[in-house]
Amino acid sequence: MAAEAKLRTCSVTGLQVHLPAQKLIMTNAVTAVVFLLIGTVMAILIALTRWPAVHLLNQEFFYRFVTAHGLNMLIFWIIFFEIAGLYFGATILLNARLAKPRVAWACFVLMLLGAALADIMVFTGNADVMFTSYPPLQAHPLYYLGILIFAVGALLACLLFFATLVLAKQEGKYDGALPLVTFGLACAAIIAVWSLAHGALTYVPALLWSVGLMKNIDPAMYRLTYWGIGHGAQQINLVAMIAIWYLLGTLTVGSKVPSQKLSRIAFFLYLPFINLGAIHHLLVDPGLHSPFRIFNTSYAMYLAVVGSMIHAFSIPAGVEIAQRAKGFTTGLFQWLRKAPWGTPGFSSLALSFVIFGFIGGTTGVIQGSEQLNMLAHNTLRIPGHFHTTVVAGTTLAFMGIAYYIIQLVGQRKLIWEKLAKFQPYIFSIGVVIMAVGMLSAGSMGVPRRHWDVTFADANLPVSLGERIYGALGMVGIGGIIAFVGALIFILLAVGSLLKGEKIA
Amino acid sequence: MDEEKKSGKMKAPGTLVLVFIFLAWFAALYFLNWSVLSRLWSIG
Repeated sequence: MAAEAKLRTCSVTGLQVHLPAQKLIMTNAVTAVVFLLIGTVMAILIALTRWPAVHLLNQEFFYRFVTAHGLNMLIFWIIFFEIAGLYFGATILLNARLAKPRVAWACFVLMLLGAALADIMVFTGNADVMFTSYPPLQAHPLYYLGILIFAVGALLACLLFFATLVLAKQEGKYDGALPLVTFGLACAAIIAVWSLAHGALTYVPALLWSVGLMKNIDPAMYRLTYWGIGHGAQQINLVAMIAIWYLLGTLTVGSKVPSQKLSRIAFFLYLPFINLGAIHHLLVDPGLHSPFRIFNTSYAMYLAVVGSMIHAFSIPAGVEIAQRAKGFTTGLFQWLRKAPWGTPGFSSLALSFVIFGFIGGTTGVIQGSEQLNMLAHNTLRIPGHFHTTVVAGTTLAFMGIAYYIIQLVGQRKLIWEKLAKFQPYIFSIGVVIMAVGMLSAGSMGVPRRHWDVTFADANLPVSLGERIYGALGMVGIGGIIAFVGALIFILLAVGSLLKGEKIA
Repeated sequence: MDEEKKSGKMKAPGTLVLVFIFLAWFAALYFLNWSVLSRLWSIG
């Protein structure tokens, strides 16, 4: 069949949609949502265990589910969705076709196989090593193999994204620079290649060690390369999320970015600098000397922060310019009051932007400073930070764009549109309560990834003070609200694809 | 869009205010953390 015959024209946007790419986008996105469901169920069980009044799980299941939660949320949900985003950005946004759909299906199979293998190992108790799997903790070899297979699939998908951009250029689908959103996604894909290379450096030795082919593994070296993938993966999320923010701004209010060139520079700043910030995980590591730690977590990281500051201005400014052009010019904030707050795409954009910036971004920079890190290291402040970046930020932005993908790519109308209007608010309120609880408890010294901070079974009494119970109660209550918000999203997404009215 | 840029109409005063609110919040949190650190690890 000729390439042209595999295209359809979207009745809403007028964009050309490559049908094989459409199938791949939907398959990757739906698979992502399945892993989101697994991670969400783990999340509520963990939150109800960290709430001392409930303390739901026993210690064995707690640590097992913390491992599963990290893996399914931080890696499988987000990377499957990002691959869907890469195919979307390289094909639909460029009116182009996907370079090699069969290779893309092979990537999907590899990723699914790897993710399933790693999950099976975790849930059968063969990998109670937490998300970081720091040696000397050792998992079953199939756990490391599963992650490696997943990483190979994801890496090939990123390379296919680049191949599709080259093909689109050859076929004259764009002149000059890439559109801003696709440019942002390309930056995310470059960081992904960098991160996945660190994944190989980390997990190949770990696999060899687990099967006995390597006698010893250097824990310090493991930690260094691990955070290349461990935090690098979160930088992929960050950059992809910002690209999605620009896209949501365009889709919801017709956002007009003040300076495309400046926004591109901001994306570019992430490439050399943002991953250096990953060293903040090693700020108390005795194996690294101070100048190395200080350089990587301050001077270098701040250049990436400059990029974030540019986006922090450009994205709302783009919305304001578009709104003012529509006539909302009274005072300083009429454009904001008259914004489409009932559209889930816009509320997802606004809420994820504000929560990410005001809580996630600020706590990240503060906790990433060497001296201030001493206040927060290994306390519940750290999960408090990253639940406002990866959950309220990335996940909420992805939920917002998913509402459009369902309609524009899945060709289905949303079921229960009224419920969809409230979903971003419910989810955000829950995550904020939970994260503020974590940040507060962590500030009072409550450790992260800990089954029982009351130390009920300890021979010597240990007390972190009465106030921690209020903060940990917030973690539990916020967790329940966020769980409800996430379940509503999953219900809406799956329900719309199965039962939603078909759009021609 | 280019005409708007040339004529200087692409203004976002509301965003500018929001950005300064954000910077004030960031600065306050930053100094609060240094203050807590200095009290926990006092010198002398």
